[in-house]
Amino acid sequence: MARLEAQSLTLGYDKSMIVNDLTLELPAGEVTMIVGANGCGKSTLLRGMARLLKPSAGSVVLDGKDIHTQPAREIAKVLGLLPQTPIAPDGITVRELVGRGRYPHQGWFRRWSAEDDDAVGRALHATGTEELAERAIDELSGGQRQRVWIAMALAQETDLLLLDEPTTYLDVAHQLEVLDVVADLNRRRGTTVAIVLHDLNLAARYADHLVALKHGEVYAQGHPAAVVTERMVQDVFGMPSRVIPDPVAGTPLVLPIGRHRVVRGRDLDQNAARAAAGTGSTGTMPSVAAAPTAAVAGDAQHAGVDAPEPGVEGEDGLLAALEACPTVAFKLTAVAATTLSPSYRRVTFTGEDLAHFGTGGHPLDLRIKLVIPSPASSGEDHVAALRPDGRIAADDVAGWYRKWLAVDPQERGWLRTYSIRSFRPAGHPGNVGEHPEIDIDFVLHVKREGGKLVGGPASVWAAEAEPGAEITMLGPNSKLCAPDYAGIEFRPGTARRILLAGDETAAPAICSILETLPPGMTGNAFIEVPGVDDIQGSFTRSGVSVQWLPRGSRPHGELLNQAVRSAVAIPAAGAVVPGQDPEDVDVDSTILWETAEAGSHPFYAWLAGEAGTIKELRRYLVRDAGLNRKQVSFMGYWRRGKAEM
Amino acid sequence: MTAAVTDRTVPALPRPHRGTRVALVLAGVVVVLFLVTVLLGSTIVSPSELLAVLSGQTVPGVSFIVLEDRLPTAFVGALAGAAFALSGTVFQTLLRNPLASPDIIGIGYGAATAAVAGMLVLGLQGPWFSVSAFVGALVVALVVYFLADSGQHTGGRLILMGIGAGAMLHAVMNYLLSSTDVRSAGDALHWLVGSLSNSNWERVGTLAVALAVLAPLTAFAATRLKVLQLGDDAAAGLGVDVARSRLTLVVLGVALAAAATSVTGPIAFVAFLAGPLARLLTGGRTDFLCSALVGSALVLAADFAGSNLFGDTSLPVGVVTGALGAPFLLWLLVRSNQQGMGG
Repeated sequence: MARLEAQSLTLGYDKSMIVNDLTLELPAGEVTMIVGANGCGKSTLLRGMARLLKPSAGSVVLDGKDIHTQPAREIAKVLGLLPQTPIAPDGITVRELVGRGRYPHQGWFRRWSAEDDDAVGRALHATGTEELAERAIDELSGGQRQRVWIAMALAQETDLLLLDEPTTYLDVAHQLEVLDVVADLNRRRGTTVAIVLHDLNLAARYADHLVALKHGEVYAQGHPAAVVTERMVQDVFGMPSRVIPDPVAGTPLVLPIGRHRVVRGRDLDQNAARAAAGTGSTGTMPSVAAAPTAAVAGDAQHAGVDAPEPGVEGEDGLLAALEACPTVAFKLTAVAATTLSPSYRRVTFTGEDLAHFGTGGHPLDLRIKLVIPSPASSGEDHVAALRPDGRIAADDVAGWYRKWLAVDPQERGWLRTYSIRSFRPAGHPGNVGEHPEIDIDFVLHVKREGGKLVGGPASVWAAEAEPGAEITMLGPNSKLCAPDYAGIEFRPGTARRILLAGDETAAPAICSILETLPPGMTGNAFIEVPGVDDIQGSFTRSGVSVQWLPRGSRPHGELLNQAVRSAVAIPAAGAVVPGQDPEDVDVDSTILWETAEAGSHPFYAWLAGEAGTIKELRRYLVRDAGLNRKQVSFMGYWRRGKAEM
Repeated sequence: MTAAVTDRTVPALPRPHRGTRVALVLAGVVVVLFLVTVLLGSTIVSPSELLAVLSGQTVPGVSFIVLEDRLPTAFVGALAGAAFALSGTVFQTLLRNPLASPDIIGIGYGAATAAVAGMLVLGLQGPWFSVSAFVGALVVALVVYFLADSGQHTGGRLILMGIGAGAMLHAVMNYLLSSTDVRSAGDALHWLVGSLSNSNWERVGTLAVALAVLAPLTAFAATRLKVLQLGDDAAAGLGVDVARSRLTLVVLGVALAAAATSVTGPIAFVAFLAGPLARLLTGGRTDFLCSALVGSALVLAADFAGSNLFGDTSLPVGVVTGALGAPFLLWLLVRSNQQGMGG
């Protein structure tokens, strides 16, 4: 695969330098978008990389060789360019024009061949211009014409394609048409594409890699979700803006703020809330803005650790589970199952037991455990004592888990932890039946081999779960927790600025938290998911800016790490409580689980996901950025390489 | 011209491509005009007499007219017309402007001035006369080309510079003509109008050799010209060395114009008219073969008209083409002004 990079490249016309000592590598097989204000040198850079301009200093290197030392025709077989305003000769047909893209493949003696015909046919097909092939260019609309030009560049059949403002003068539908064609090309042929685009929002949507140029230098580059921030827009375009998640694509959406025609509320968050009022939400939306309180009574996670006072013993010497156990076992039946994306499947459960589910109705990061049934089980209920109608020995209130663990997994099943995505009390209009309902978003790590799903038992169970499937959930007992209990780990206290970060396993919790956050909260949420398709619509009335980070082929946690580092600088400005050195906690000894107390700090971070990633982030925030440990909650939900999660 | 110049990018269609059909028709027209030039005139030659002459027999009164006058005239007319037309089409296509024909952008004046100077001052004749025309044309072309930043300003700037250079050379030529004796000046003036009347087999040979070299080169360069038509950036993206290709094409265009000019004198407006007329016939596309055929037909028809349609007066071919070309130039200027691309 062809690799193109600029090394300390300086470009200019006459004496004025437009691109200064710029180093940039186009990631192979990805779509790179170059954005920047007018005159920032983005087109000049593209022209320079396409060897249309001789560098004043530095070089452009294609597959390890300086492109200015190689014959132009050889370069043109690998590197295609569509300039901003190519000229269509009069009277030429589409097919002829596309055929001119074959020029570099023809030589002194090698003339038009069947191979050239095939290449033209493929290019016409890829751009959907086959039916235009015999038409004259002059007869075409702007969008068609641009597709034909792209077809010409495609007929060149290069591994690399550079496009300079391919959507200029096109209406928005045709802009999308053109970018979709380019995206298809990138997906199907793996062509490395670099595009100079002036529409920042479209660039953010279609880019795998976004490069923001300012004064001929790279201001920022990386995944659009990490690059497009309000600060970047301010610095690069000199324009105040708000960046919100694009409700369509999940990518950053820049809303410019001009001097006029801006809603006259001083508080932009309230404006956003006003604008969002009335929009439906999949999750639980509190009707009134309740500041999330750190309610703690029971602990679903550490069942039995904080055992409350035992209830009254009955005649059998046993206690009623509902009186004694902070965690009870709920019998649930699936009523709906939807595949949200390649990596997510949402299962909606109901059951009369949910009347005892301990939450105020607006779970934040409420963690529960599901007993994934084993196909080989005898059917015996190993948590019968924990059922709402169960009776339990006093010792077992704390000790049931150890006993349960001792049972053969093939018999008892497997315990897995999940976040409640949303909880709808009985009578909620969205409910299917009369009982309360919960949604749980399962992360699927499965693949299909020979028609059979292969993966962890939980993933396989969730992937195959259909309405009617039954499961046991271990969750908080409403009798033994505060009425507004909403999970344990999200405790921002009085903080008004927050950082939420996590991988796909934390996405349900983060989405749930976001939906519940009141207006007035600001900060960032970063959610790393396996792929672009896993980006979900997330709703928040708060001013928290949400960025989904599709991982693609990058290592787990890399994007999340970058994003958190870009959001919390060293030293964390405004977030640090001076004079408090971070303690070094050995986070290796156990899976990282450190919850902060409700504090009075202005900043609060909540991080969850794969333990290794979270550990790194924790090191950065607590040790490098100097955050107080009380400001940060860390939860390692699972550990890479370990099936149990 | 060879068939290689016709558009190869079109795969075989059930019926011949429009350019091919137009070229066939034009070739027929050229053949007819060629025969008309040979057969008709003050003395009418019958086809059988022509065949007899061509088969080597001597037909009294006819052999001389056919062999020493009409055949060389017809050959020179056809070849010069093709050369002018190719030169004009190369420049018009390269500079993307129909006004950019060599007789307008000063190249014709360069050839003429150098040739007149060679004739009057140095007494050059034959091949050296042709060389002086070529050198003059090339010098003017390159000066104009580099003054316009290696042709990067292909629009008005190069054309205006060419017109300016032409005006200057015109003055030089007038000076040369007015400062020599009347008889020599008369010869030069006759040449300057553009005429086929001095055609002989030697001149046919000169032109034929020049075209035999230049036409295939032009045909080859035309593949690059087709890519250059897409704009400099697009052409560079397709692997064309833009500056070098453009210079090559300029030199080729100059050579074609100079070769024809040195033989017939500057026949006005053929280079300018042939390309656009061919484009009208081919439906707007640039086709070198058709342009060349249109150029041949134009010169042959204009020569025949000038020789026979004005009674006893025989007008040189350049007068007739000039009379045709000037209104077309005006029309083109009016139209390009309306389209806002007036150079």
